[in-house]
Amino acid sequence: MSIERFLNNSVTSWMADEGEHADIVMSTRIRLARNLTGYRFPLSFSENEALQVDQAVSAVLLDAESELESTFSYIDIKGLSTLNRQVLVEKHLISPKLAHSEVTGSVLLSDDEAISVMVNEEDHIRIQCIFPGLQLLEAWHQANNIDDMLEKELPYAFDEQFGYLTSCPTNSGTGLRASVMMHLPALTMTNQMNRLVTTITRLGMVVRGIYGEGSEALGNVYQISNQTTLGKSEEDILTDLQSITEQIIQKEREARNALLNTRPNVLEDRLYRSLGVLTYARILTTEEAGRCLSDVRLGIDLGLIKGVDVSILNECMIFMQPGFLQKYAGMSLQSEERDVFRAKLFRERLQVDNNLNNEGEEPHDV
Amino acid sequence: MICENCKQRPAKVTVTQIQDGTHVQRHYCEKCAQNFHPFHLDFQQDPLSLHQLLSNWFGAPESAQVQQKQQLQPKIPPCSSCGWTFRQFLNEGKFGCAHCYESFREQLPSVFKKLHNGNVKHVGKAPGKFGHKLQLKKQIEAIRTSMQAAIGIENFEEAAKLRDEARELEKQLQSGGEPPDVN
Ligand SMILES: [Zn+2]
Ligand SMILES: [Zn+2]
Repeated sequence: MSIERFLNNSVTSWMADEGEHADIVMSTRIRLARNLTGYRFPLSFSENEALQVDQAVSAVLLDAESELESTFSYIDIKGLSTLNRQVLVEKHLISPKLAHSEVTGSVLLSDDEAISVMVNEEDHIRIQCIFPGLQLLEAWHQANNIDDMLEKELPYAFDEQFGYLTSCPTNSGTGLRASVMMHLPALTMTNQMNRLVTTITRLGMVVRGIYGEGSEALGNVYQISNQTTLGKSEEDILTDLQSITEQIIQKEREARNALLNTRPNVLEDRLYRSLGVLTYARILTTEEAGRCLSDVRLGIDLGLIKGVDVSILNECMIFMQPGFLQKYAGMSLQSEERDVFRAKLFRERLQVDNNLNNEGEEPHDV
Repeated sequence: MICENCKQRPAKVTVTQIQDGTHVQRHYCEKCAQNFHPFHLDFQQDPLSLHQLLSNWFGAPESAQVQQKQQLQPKIPPCSSCGWTFRQFLNEGKFGCAHCYESFREQLPSVFKKLHNGNVKHVGKAPGKFGHKLQLKKQIEAIRTSMQAAIGIENFEEAAKLRDEARELEKQLQSGGEPPDVN
């Protein structure tokens, strides 16, 4: 499998418009943190240790492909350009931390990009599975399988009291971080988010806007994940997150219905204006693109906007980021230039979609 | 100075860009600066800033008190495997190696209590051999309970049999938890 494919294609498996409650839950992610005995953690280890860990982990995974029923591609991070690293970060396939790593590290990616195993990130091993929609158990089973397989061959650092020993004490215990990415436009429009965030936090979950803490969420997309990893079983962590997610889904649906019932034409006008901006604008900042994407997505979910495919919106959400835009443009871009290219990209994608006679070519392969 | 992008909020972030070999400085507000890296789901970030939490914990009002306490306590030796001190662990908010957990075992429950909602002991998945060990321990405990019961009703023959069973399992436990027929 050519590495180029992971870099050029903005479509990735978790964006598929499928899975339960896919209109509200965009994706589900499970992450397991693991370390090997006999090597210091990446924060303090030597290049020699890094190399040994990298070889040991990748050998096991590449050996077990048939058992796992997926094929993995080994991508050496040091061998990638800064731009290509950024592209993998924008697709959520590696973390910013691994992208900036100065020692030997790698990512092993399954062909469908649903599984990524990062080696020598903050921990020796980070198993990550991303599924579209709300699929906590499915993603957990996948990650758990890979964990079982690695554990058979590699000596894990584990302690009966502290569980899986991780570099950061916020991961000790199960090493499990489960999260769901939710699109919550109606709760945001009706000013219910602040109160909801307070409640969710009190229930031991963490909520953050998609690009960091404290700031308003771009495109009304929020990530909700478990905070506690010690003293709670994997099952309990997943059950609690599932039940909180379901409650938020219900609240979002109620808010959507309320919006639709009170002033439907005002809502419809707003959503269509946003579709107009995305389709015809010549300059698009990320802020505006995020807001309009959220509106159009809501319009599709409510049945007000027809003829636009949600998966195109998902693709644009990834593609509008700086790394992808620069690959698309084929050169490095200043922020104002990016706004111009971003607008061009949206025009092309949305018009391609409107024009059903297109030949199905992929205009974004650079 | 006002943000170059939105021209509304005060500029707080200076971004240096390299353009055709020359450095260009741009001044943005925090909000706009963040937007230049949109949709960066920084999923590796810790859910709560441990550093912040720990520094609050050892924060200004308490620090004198804590320092005093630490002077009274015997000094915690650094980790013998990576050389990190407990203080270093608190400052970084990270462990240097897996052995740090052993080195700071006594201090850790109070840290974990703060981070994990009062919890200090792992519940959940364990690697195979540890899982087997835990099972053995439970089995041994159960046998001992039956043994006490047997003694209680003066069935010493049964008690002796159970004692031998428990001893056999203990031997297994000490030899690393592998049952004798495997390897
Ligand atoms: Zn600004
Ligand atoms: Zn250590």
